[in-house]
Amino acid sequence: MTGPWAEALPWVIALPLVGAALTPAVAVRRPRAAGFWAWGVLLVTAVLAAGLVSELLARGPFSYELGGWPAAYGIELRFDHFSAWVLPLALLFVVIVPFSWRYLDHVMPDERRPPFYALLLLNAGGMIGFCVTGDLFNLFVFTEVVSLSSYALVAVGGRGLAAFAALKYLFIGAVSSLLMLFATAQLFVLTGSLNMAEVSLRLAEVGGGTAVMVAFAAYAVSFMVKAAMFPVHVWLPDAHAIAPSPVSAVLSGMVVKVGIVGMLRVYQIYYGAEVLELGAFNLALVWLGAVSIVMGAFFAIFQDDIKLMLAYSTISNIGYIVLGLGLASPYAVIGASVHVFNHALIKATLFLAAGSIIHQTGFRTLSDLRGVARAMPQTSAAMAIGAVSIVGLPPTAGFVCKWYIALGAFEANQAPFGFALVFGALFIFIYYIRMLNAFYFQKPVHAAVAQASETPWSMRGPVVLLASLCLILGVLGGIPLTFVEPAVLDLLPLWGP
Amino acid sequence: MLLFGLDLDYVAVVMLFCVGLYMLVAKSNLLKKLLGLNVMETAVFAFIVTAGMVEGGDPPIMVAGTSAPFASPIPHAMVLTGIVVAVSVTAVALALIVQIHAHFGTIEIDELKELP
Repeated sequence: MTGPWAEALPWVIALPLVGAALTPAVAVRRPRAAGFWAWGVLLVTAVLAAGLVSELLARGPFSYELGGWPAAYGIELRFDHFSAWVLPLALLFVVIVPFSWRYLDHVMPDERRPPFYALLLLNAGGMIGFCVTGDLFNLFVFTEVVSLSSYALVAVGGRGLAAFAALKYLFIGAVSSLLMLFATAQLFVLTGSLNMAEVSLRLAEVGGGTAVMVAFAAYAVSFMVKAAMFPVHVWLPDAHAIAPSPVSAVLSGMVVKVGIVGMLRVYQIYYGAEVLELGAFNLALVWLGAVSIVMGAFFAIFQDDIKLMLAYSTISNIGYIVLGLGLASPYAVIGASVHVFNHALIKATLFLAAGSIIHQTGFRTLSDLRGVARAMPQTSAAMAIGAVSIVGLPPTAGFVCKWYIALGAFEANQAPFGFALVFGALFIFIYYIRMLNAFYFQKPVHAAVAQASETPWSMRGPVVLLASLCLILGVLGGIPLTFVEPAVLDLLPLWGP
Repeated sequence: MLLFGLDLDYVAVVMLFCVGLYMLVAKSNLLKKLLGLNVMETAVFAFIVTAGMVEGGDPPIMVAGTSAPFASPIPHAMVLTGIVVAVSVTAVALALIVQIHAHFGTIEIDELKELP
């Protein structure tokens, strides 16, 4: 039995995609109208997503069969607890788009705005589709929608260097997508189905074997690249630092999570089928996660450019999430899944605040931005709250997840990784302290920094809102847990030690 | 058909994939890297197409005189979608390469790295 909102499931994907296609037409006479159009579309999408989540809370996971084809033959859309991620995703877009209205003034001429917002809508639609699809090939298609729009969004603001960063991202991203397509094909050959639930059932009959393992490995590597884990992170820093700040917030906060959500989906298939002993793989994830935390923090310490620093900090935080997933104990996985959301919120705060500072002063390095807190007190305060959150100090959003992951490490009898996590947090603390010290306690070296004014309200509003959410979610940390706990506990009885 | 106990088509697919990967990694010219990527894509598509092969199967088109077994149509639908995706990726990459050339005057990666 499903309620009326279940019918909204295809619309939550279709709306942003159709909206994206219509953007150039809507804005043909007034390019600036594209921003309001995109915001309106995302607002309606967020309302639909809220409806879907209310349905999920009332009656549990539900499906929609596209075109009326039964799930085993057609494409099934499935809304489960992990899919609830679409609501915060849509809401973050709703906050980020108003920020870009004024921010883009310095970045691009007016006539390039419609394509920019069209790409942003495509990106949102692709990610929402990725989270709610129950079909493996569909998962690949939505990955490509997200990836392609991300490549273009990296290049959209700048000229040569931005195009180079985008191309580097494209080459690595395209290979990882190919691996994903190969794994999908492999599973199709083995099981004769593309529906995730169906594949999981039939895999149990097929049993283990090299081919099943190869498919898993291809998925794992593909999603590691998408999530920018340590050895395959090389595309991330340049791409995220050079993109316009609203885009950096989207890429760093949400697009890298495609890899994490994808990994969870593949886990659902393989744990359900119980064909592979994944203990060794989980151990590899734990180590890679720990190395990502330390290396991300290590590189970030030497950066002077604030956006490059934030980009490296994303690698650390993905490390936390992957470490939590690999530990495979309830607390750790719950913490990691909540961090998928909380990191998106915190990183959006940081990138938007950094974008505001760069927008108002024209400088982007720590040494140039000394003393900026005097001129821009509210934005700097938001930046400080974001920094404290990402380090994981109470009472902020970052504390809850990192605490859970650390607890999980002790629960899984992997105490050294618990200590590694705390040590990593200290490391991260060092470079954020460096940033706060430069902003608050040093004298300005440039007149432009000393005389900078606060941003207009359409930019300051989102930043202040996001920063206060970081604090609120630190106190009310239980809200994301409502969604994550049932999903993780569903997964964990099957979850190997 | 078997070759050293392996399916010949799979051997060909893996070789093609490796040729593409080599081009992507080793070549310095961005355009050649992109060609390498396309070769890799072709390898994966070929792998998917072979998956639809059914021994003695008819094309799954319902006209007079066709009978089971049928070749599986799903891999073909997958490859078509995959080709569309690959074309889009190629288009975006070419646009980026054009922009890089317009800005730096070169598309050789070792020359690009020497630029400040």
